[in-house]
Amino acid sequence: MSSALSASALAVSGRLEAVSLDLTPGELVALVGPNGAGKSTLIQALAGLLPAEGHVHWNGQLLSRIAMAERGRRLAWVGQEAHFEFAFPVHEVVAQGRYAWGDDLDGVEAALAELDLLDLADRPVTRLSGGERHRVGLARALATQAPIQLWDEPVAQLDVRHALEVMRLARRLVDGGSTVLVSLHDLRAAYRFDRVLVLDRGRLVGNGKPHEVLTAELIGEVFRVKATFVESLVPELPEP
Amino acid sequence: MKSRFALPLLLALLVLAFLASLAFGELRLSFGQVIGALTGGSDELARTVVRDFRLPRALVGLAVGAALGSSGVVMQAFFRNPLASPGLLGVSSGGALGAVAVLAAGPFLGLAAHTLWALPLASVLGAFAATGAVLMLAQRGAGTERLLLSGVALNALLGAGTSFLLTTTIGHFEVNAQILFWLMGGLESRSWEHVWMGVPAILVGCLLLLPLGRPMDLLSLGEQSAQSLGVDVRRLRWKLIALSTILTALATAVAGVVGFVGLIVPHVLRLAFGPDHRRLLPYSMIGGAAFLLACDLVTRTFPLGLRLGVVTALIGGPFFLWLLRRPR
Repeated sequence: MSSALSASALAVSGRLEAVSLDLTPGELVALVGPNGAGKSTLIQALAGLLPAEGHVHWNGQLLSRIAMAERGRRLAWVGQEAHFEFAFPVHEVVAQGRYAWGDDLDGVEAALAELDLLDLADRPVTRLSGGERHRVGLARALATQAPIQLWDEPVAQLDVRHALEVMRLARRLVDGGSTVLVSLHDLRAAYRFDRVLVLDRGRLVGNGKPHEVLTAELIGEVFRVKATFVESLVPELPEP
Repeated sequence: MKSRFALPLLLALLVLAFLASLAFGELRLSFGQVIGALTGGSDELARTVVRDFRLPRALVGLAVGAALGSSGVVMQAFFRNPLASPGLLGVSSGGALGAVAVLAAGPFLGLAAHTLWALPLASVLGAFAATGAVLMLAQRGAGTERLLLSGVALNALLGAGTSFLLTTTIGHFEVNAQILFWLMGGLESRSWEHVWMGVPAILVGCLLLLPLGRPMDLLSLGEQSAQSLGVDVRRLRWKLIALSTILTALATAVAGVVGFVGLIVPHVLRLAFGPDHRRLLPYSMIGGAAFLLACDLVTRTFPLGLRLGVVTALIGGPFFLWLLRRPR
């Protein structure tokens, strides 16, 4: 299968050591690891937002050969922090996702609806809660309609319903042929992904199907906790 | 406020302030006399007063206001901090120190007759040095505290340099007075020479800034997110910092240190018409020009020997304190 996003010997001094990976179109990938393992660094390096050693390819094309505007059309990145210093209305922030497309408004309304932001569309983004601001960031990434989506802890600040909706959205994008990489801390949620990457102290120590990678042994080693598999209450979105 | 009223409103204010600048002064002229003097009518005296004295002064004031207003917008977007401005960050002080150095060295180097171009050049150099220092002291996205403290330190350092030059020239009364002029800013006796020195370059700088409004929107909400959305952030940042520094330096070269314009004007306009830089940039140019001309009118109307920089500081100081107290 062709490659959507690949890295070979990707390294960032002191934070990331020779990470190689290859993500295919239509794949939903989770990135887990303890605090400080280098998850955000890896995501930023893959997105071309950090100076890094090694090579990154998007759709088989070397990243440094891809023009800036073209990058904005091909890959969307959502950072862990959603600070907005200037009081743009929500819909204008989401419309920034169309910058690389010449600022048409294609898909902006749909992105607002998808992240449940229609009621907040005219609200200044500075007056939103942390979770709401994260949803604005996700909506902006969605508006780019980029086929590769990298989301850095998108659900950490969301309530349970919005978190589930974001995961459902990710699945729908992947079903449509996109590649979505999501970093997260909830290991139980990671079991629902197609593939899990485990990062520990800057090194990729796990890469494969959730049940094969996220063993009690590896979790114990990486996170230094004792993991047990149990039946428990799992929240689900009601059928529409 | 509805933003479709913004442009007509600001333009009307600017025209009003501009005409008032030409009409008010020791010789009070009517608007009719002013129009007459500009178009070749009116009497000899009115023509001389308007064309040789007030018109260059008003044009310099207009350009300085536009330069400072837009520099403020740019620095706020660049540092992603609504409290950044050329004055608070020390860029104006850098420009002033450059200009003062030329003024102070003039009589010793026999430069006096040739200072016309040396002055803006030295001002640009000084401003760039200050900008470089701010960039090192406070990284982009630095918190308000770090940014403002860097500005405080830099302003103190540059101020000390200027004070040093002021005291070394204390025996040269004329040089000393000239230096004081720069430090307190003003448009007195601005001539056509000053117009040619500052206005065309400021106009070019403003025109080069205008198309950068859209990418500035994205930059103002985060450097990495802007880059991920397709903005060439490195190139944009370089353009912005160069243009805003040059504009500030040119304004300082022709009018001395005039503080707070770059802070007040963008702030008020952002509150009134929103943060969209495609609008905020031109609005701040027009609004800055109108504000500066209005402040200059105050210096002329109150016979207290008020300097322009003093008037803008009297308005800007309390405004800044109010901003700091305001919950964000």
